[in-house]
Amino acid sequence: MIEVEGLRKRYGSVTAVDGVSFAAPDGRITGLLGANGAGKTTTIGMICGVVTPDAGSVRIDGVTAPIEMRRRIGALHDHKGLYMRLTARENIRYFGQLHGLSGAELEGRVQTVVSRLGLNAVADRQTAGFSQGERMKVALARALVHDPRTLLLDEPTNGLDIPTVRAFRQLLSDLRAQGTCIVLSSHVLEDVSAVCDDLVIIARGRVVAAGSQQEICRRAGAGSLEDAFMRLTTCEEVSS
Amino acid sequence: MTAASLIVARKEIVDHLRDRRSLLSAMAYALMGPGVVLLVSFSPKARTESNPAVMLGMMSVFALVSAFTGGMNVAIDVMSGERERHSLLPLLMTPVRRRDVVIGKWIAATVFALAALAVNVAGLIAVLALRAPASLTAQAPALAAWVMLGLVPLALLAAALEILVAGFSRTMKEAGTSLMLVMFVPMFIGMFLVFFPVKPGIWTVVPVVGQQIVIDAGMRGASAPLSYVMALAAVTVLCAFAPLAAAERMLGRDAAASRAV
Repeated sequence: MIEVEGLRKRYGSVTAVDGVSFAAPDGRITGLLGANGAGKTTTIGMICGVVTPDAGSVRIDGVTAPIEMRRRIGALHDHKGLYMRLTARENIRYFGQLHGLSGAELEGRVQTVVSRLGLNAVADRQTAGFSQGERMKVALARALVHDPRTLLLDEPTNGLDIPTVRAFRQLLSDLRAQGTCIVLSSHVLEDVSAVCDDLVIIARGRVVAAGSQQEICRRAGAGSLEDAFMRLTTCEEVSS
Repeated sequence: MTAASLIVARKEIVDHLRDRRSLLSAMAYALMGPGVVLLVSFSPKARTESNPAVMLGMMSVFALVSAFTGGMNVAIDVMSGERERHSLLPLLMTPVRRRDVVIGKWIAATVFALAALAVNVAGLIAVLALRAPASLTAQAPALAAWVMLGLVPLALLAAALEILVAGFSRTMKEAGTSLMLVMFVPMFIGMFLVFFPVKPGIWTVVPVVGQQIVIDAGMRGASAPLSYVMALAAVTVLCAFAPLAAAERMLGRDAAASRAV
């Protein structure tokens, strides 16, 4: 479970995140929805422990130390950040090792995620020539190799084709069913609408609404999530 | 050094061994010195009394510079390259300490720097064997030992400086430009000392200057006192920790993470 309380972050004169608070429970997919520059990625960075907040706190499964939080999470970013001269399996194995896995346990976990994500055919190829979908799968396998209880996904479906997006959504549903806490940050309404149980809408670094899709639409007096999003991100805050 | 830093180092070495263009470039830099000295040795002007002195002077400078060139491509790739291909953020999100990340990358850069140094020294010995007078050829193994003794610690410092400079660069191109400027430091100091030699003394324990003095003395058959050489090695290795600590702090800063996104 992720508990975020009063996070603030400034870069010079720009306030990137201004008092963001929300909770993402286990076994649910929480969508972090906002326009470009709303503060989603900075919030994800603070949850991951790579950006130090000016104020506020993050707690993952009750843990607050950044290095311990990083031990508990798997993260996937818009830019997949693969090592092009390494094979898919080597990319995944490297991150397994960095998470403390070794020997038979490491190889077992690597093979598990390779099979689960349908990467067997390309697992031993260098990732340089991979398609967007294959890169996303390798990056996701890398995020899952240590079997994290918490998964952070930042704009995961950018550039993916429809079959890959569908397969990705199915995987998220499976992980949710296993009790994984998933936070999905996106500006793509279809993504959050299709898979998220709860939504946190961020605008100008602040949470402007939180709750289920239906609750947010009702509070905003809108018939669709898109209308609600536009009203909330261009008007005043609607409390959850 | 921890298991995590060795994991990072191993990955970077394996990764870089597959970068054939970079390996060829490093090999060319390592053999540039022996190649130039070989060409000079065929010059009619070089067939004078001063031939060995000219050859040895040039060799010492090229050997000094090779300690810097060998790890340069690796340092660029593992620091600014990591940022440019957006793989830095996933790396920083693992539970590995920044110190281990930096040390691992430094080890990888050092391995390639030492390999380039070994290639350079082997090339210089080959040139000596082919083109130098018999008296000098007989000294070749001793010369090689002096060069390696002087330059191995310098390779550690050079790799650390390159890791730091590349770490502060936003792109690989920017890192390459910055590091080419760094290369001028040993080149300038080396050339200066060839024309204005300094006898072993307090300068011997100053990194880069000391290495040039030690190599030059060794090549002229007048080896520097071992105590100075040991002190130089200790000072040089200690100096390597400052850029590594700075690189660790740089990776720990928010800017590193936000620029990595």
